[in-house]
Amino acid sequence: MTIAAEQEMPRSKRRSSLIRSPQFSSLVILIVLLAVFGIADANFLSPLNISNMMAFLPELGIIALGMTLLLTAGEFDLSVGAVFGLAPVVVMLLVQNGGFDIGIALLAGLLLCIAIGAVNGLIVTKIGISSFLVTLSMLLVVRGAALYITQGFPLKSWDQPGFFVTLLAGSFNIGTFRFYTSLWWFISLSLLAIYVLHYAKLGNWISAIGSNRNAAVARGVPADAVKIWLFILTSVLAGLAGMISAFRISAASPVAGTGYELEVIAMVVVGGTALTGGRGTILGTIVGALMLRSIRNGIVLIGVPGLAYNIFVGVIILAMLILHALLQKNAARS
Amino acid sequence: MEVLRLQNLQKSFGSVRALKNASFALNEGEVVALLGDNGAGKSTLIKAISGVFSVDRGDIYVRGQKVSIRSTRDAMDLGIETIHQDTSLAPDLSIARNLFLGREPVNLKWLGVFAPLDLAKLRDAAAALLKRVGISKKLDADALVSTLSGGERQSIAISRAMQFAAKVIILDEPTNNLGVEETHGVLRFVKEVRSAGHSVLLITHNIHHVFQVADRIIVMRRGEIVAEQTVADTDLLTVESIITGADMSALLKETRAK
Repeated sequence: MTIAAEQEMPRSKRRSSLIRSPQFSSLVILIVLLAVFGIADANFLSPLNISNMMAFLPELGIIALGMTLLLTAGEFDLSVGAVFGLAPVVVMLLVQNGGFDIGIALLAGLLLCIAIGAVNGLIVTKIGISSFLVTLSMLLVVRGAALYITQGFPLKSWDQPGFFVTLLAGSFNIGTFRFYTSLWWFISLSLLAIYVLHYAKLGNWISAIGSNRNAAVARGVPADAVKIWLFILTSVLAGLAGMISAFRISAASPVAGTGYELEVIAMVVVGGTALTGGRGTILGTIVGALMLRSIRNGIVLIGVPGLAYNIFVGVIILAMLILHALLQKNAARS
Repeated sequence: MEVLRLQNLQKSFGSVRALKNASFALNEGEVVALLGDNGAGKSTLIKAISGVFSVDRGDIYVRGQKVSIRSTRDAMDLGIETIHQDTSLAPDLSIARNLFLGREPVNLKWLGVFAPLDLAKLRDAAAALLKRVGISKKLDADALVSTLSGGERQSIAISRAMQFAAKVIILDEPTNNLGVEETHGVLRFVKEVRSAGHSVLLITHNIHHVFQVADRIIVMRRGEIVAEQTVADTDLLTVESIITGADMSALLKETRAK
């Protein structure tokens, strides 16, 4: 073998491993979907529609970032949708009925999210109950609390312009596109998550814990603490997304975010993160979030009856997962 | 020179006395095999040394210094590395990332757990290590551990222990589930570890392997050390009979007489 050939090998190997990676296949499918929707309905790629999608995208996307890290560490959180609903409701109640300053109310909301995440994490790690059961119960507790304290009625949200509204739900125009500040939140949090998972020491720990917890613990990695902090992070991100949504539509509903937990998990696994832990990709999650958002939007645009569209969403998710499984099998064989 | 000494270790789980009164010493550059049937107390003993739990009574000395081992981290800091079968590596991580798991080289150390990995150093150190330990097949430091065979995984785990200049390497059933050739690879590797000056405590069910690599044999039964012999002074049958508690040589003589 010549030296040139030896140097050539790793590069082509790297290229083929990139092509075979789950986030790449998700990206290809996203592009195909965008093209199909774009051809089927010219309005799909119009500035108005893109602006619309970008307004919704960050709200679920932000939660999906936390969920990706949590899934990579081998746990998941079903209570995010309920926290998405409860956080703004509590903040608004404190402001409207308690007469608190909006800043203090937001701080209280943040502390509440931290507490919910910490309880999830402590029960999962210290008592050793599966996160499925713990966070399913937490979903009921949190959603129930939101319904009870509001008596089931939506609250008018904070609509006076000010620092916090601008920070979370301000909007700006770039050409004919109209974007919300939430998009900046999503982009910066994504970059941060990419850094943490793939380049920081903590990311190495998160992947190791999800891949083989005993091995990580045997190397002195504080697995329980890492998991607890990830539960807290996911809860806080769900609360943040809830606040962004409530500010944007100027209403805090106790049923907001119902079903979001499954949609978020779908985004994450469609992007290529393994439900069993150990393998996570933030880029894949961003692709997954874009994909689910454009499916929901595009399907309505091309005229699929509203009541039928979950069928399409479900079928497309299933197809993605089958594709990932086949690729995985293929990679294992070669 | 003595690297590790255990003195009168005792440990109970409820009413079960898993360790009754275990004492022994391990010398530098020595391979000691710890033998015993299931439930003899081998796992309890190594878990106590590797910091999985602490003992109820008794002392542990490392190089003559009395130490207390409360966590796996404590044990690692004292130079005691334990390699459990199948639980030592994270399959979804690369070889390089596994080698430095928990001791990652980083830049900007003040960032704590958020510090960026020194990827160049990680890869170079891993490549150098793989070369030094002379694993027969050429391995790529970036390859995922899930793509390796059982024997390769054991070798990686053992080289990781050597990398951190461990004084004592505890191998828990290192040849379980391995093929014949891989088993020989691992045993050869154990000898290399010894010649590099590390001490090895080898836990195994396979007495044949013991006679191939060990210098000394310690046999446990019902939480106690019942025999301690150098390999040169004993033979397979004697050891087997000590493990089971039955006098196998007498049995053998009987059958021969018939």
